[in-house]
Amino acid sequence: MLEGINNVGTDEWEVPVGFVPGMRVPGRFFLSETLGALLEPGAVQQLANVATLPGIINNSLGMPDIHWGYGFPIGGVAAFSLDEGVISPGGVGFDINCGVRLFTTPLTQSDIKKPRELIESLYQAVPTGVGAKSSLKISPAALTSMMEKGARWAVESGYGVERDLTRCEENGCMKEVDIRSVSAKARQRGIPQGGTLGSGNHFLEVQVVSEIYDETAAAAFGLTQGQVCCMIHCGSRGLGHQVCTDHLQILESATKKYQIRLPDRQLACAPIRSPEGMAYFGAMAASANYAWANRQLIMHSARQQFERMFGIGYDSMPLVYDVTHNVAKIEDHTVDGHTKKVCVHRKGATRSFGAGSPDLPGDLTRIGQPVIIPGSMGTSSYVLCGTKTAMERTFGSTCHGSGRVMSRSQAKKTITGKEVTDHLLAQGIIVRAPNEAAIVDEAPEVYKPSSEVVQVVHDVGISALVARLSPMGVIKG
Amino acid sequence: MSFVELPHTADVRIRANAPTCDALFSETTMALMEVMYGRDRRGGTKKEIVLEAADCEALLRDFLSEVLFVTEVDGLVFAHAEVRLEGCHLHATLDGEPFDPARHNKGTEVKGISYSGMHIGQDAKGYMLDIVFDV
Repeated sequence: MLEGINNVGTDEWEVPVGFVPGMRVPGRFFLSETLGALLEPGAVQQLANVATLPGIINNSLGMPDIHWGYGFPIGGVAAFSLDEGVISPGGVGFDINCGVRLFTTPLTQSDIKKPRELIESLYQAVPTGVGAKSSLKISPAALTSMMEKGARWAVESGYGVERDLTRCEENGCMKEVDIRSVSAKARQRGIPQGGTLGSGNHFLEVQVVSEIYDETAAAAFGLTQGQVCCMIHCGSRGLGHQVCTDHLQILESATKKYQIRLPDRQLACAPIRSPEGMAYFGAMAASANYAWANRQLIMHSARQQFERMFGIGYDSMPLVYDVTHNVAKIEDHTVDGHTKKVCVHRKGATRSFGAGSPDLPGDLTRIGQPVIIPGSMGTSSYVLCGTKTAMERTFGSTCHGSGRVMSRSQAKKTITGKEVTDHLLAQGIIVRAPNEAAIVDEAPEVYKPSSEVVQVVHDVGISALVARLSPMGVIKG
Repeated sequence: MSFVELPHTADVRIRANAPTCDALFSETTMALMEVMYGRDRRGGTKKEIVLEAADCEALLRDFLSEVLFVTEVDGLVFAHAEVRLEGCHLHATLDGEPFDPARHNKGTEVKGISYSGMHIGQDAKGYMLDIVFDV
């Protein structure tokens, strides 16, 4: 482990106050010794930087997929007092409400006789990669509705069923929307991209439930051994990117106005209740809602392909859950023994609410929230369950993925797209992407093993393993 | 003038060198285009960008953010950028062509331009920049 960091428990580490000047609270992260060997100094520095922000409560937290980002580290979580605290786009990221959803099918692996045909039909149905445009004609009024209603807009427009909404974090809609804070530029970018996947680490993957660890939770989530599922990972597209860009500029001036001293300009922020802070929060909520609508549209297209190819009913493909992993939200948490409203930033981290949380749908309140953790192309994804320990220790948060270990430039030097495709095909995994670079960038070798990351969150108790999902085929942007 | 990609686990980190600050901005624009679309890019369609910002880093961030907006909304892929800086005022003429999936679908979307990891330096040989693109 890096110098200056203290081991304070099994898989638990503290970055003491003083690690960087101006820290108000210690940093704390969860990492096994093995994963610790891959920890970058830049990520710890960023975790410590977050601890300098006004109004931070308890700790600047890092999940076991922590890595070097911009502003907050990826895998960073921090909660702020609504009275003294700040809100920062650097704690959310450019891809507001980048998130993951998982739906199941009544099919088993043996029902997929022509997997390549299925992957190709999904690839044709979902616009993918740089420059891809939506086939939908979204009017300016519809865009406003998307931003106001989120996933509900999609369901009301015929792209889903009512039950889908109860299976989304926040029911697929943050209510704190302020449409006036979304610029004309952001709107311009949002109109042609509804229902598009994007590129980079975004994907749509057909998976099979290959192992069940917790029968009760799996049954409650609707997961059975051998079942074919579909996972979708994407966010708020250009609209969210523009909102982040616009408000970073506004908040830079606000940082000076409110005399906040920052160790990194990318942490530009303002008091949560200031006009600038509220404007960002309102625009961020609008972008988050756009992202929920976007994932709903993509799921609809995927369901239609399964329906057409296998003659199964649309209603037989229920949504397990939809989680966001780049967001700031006002949530109730216990602080110094009292329930308080705080502003939780999750930057590459997933909400992990335990049993009893009032935010869960009725049939899951005794179980906990489904937590969906995507793997990389060749490795397993996992479904976990939120826990009370997460509520006590991490403001109801856990990891969001595996976390990269190899840069894109290094990947290009060491692997070719054909090697990756052939290697995966030998394991029965089909890859479809617009170009070879997209495959190399996301090769299994560039990520930490997802199994090790989820084992840490399970052992620490901030979420509990429910099921493992193995990839059958993937479309990459 | 040149740019290279430096190791960065999550995002794309670029180091650019140029004899003047104007050329440094042009070179970084080309790096951005190459990351997004690959090397096969041609001219033909011009686009002007005029901006002001508080300092050089903000000017670069705002300029490249504007390039991201223009390339997406206008569907233009740029092969050349001529940038003129006067203090904190920027005037750029970009030269490019409409996005062609067959030739330009070779890269990855850039979501934003980050201040984290941005460093503009100057020595006897000219200017040097490190910058991180969020992808």
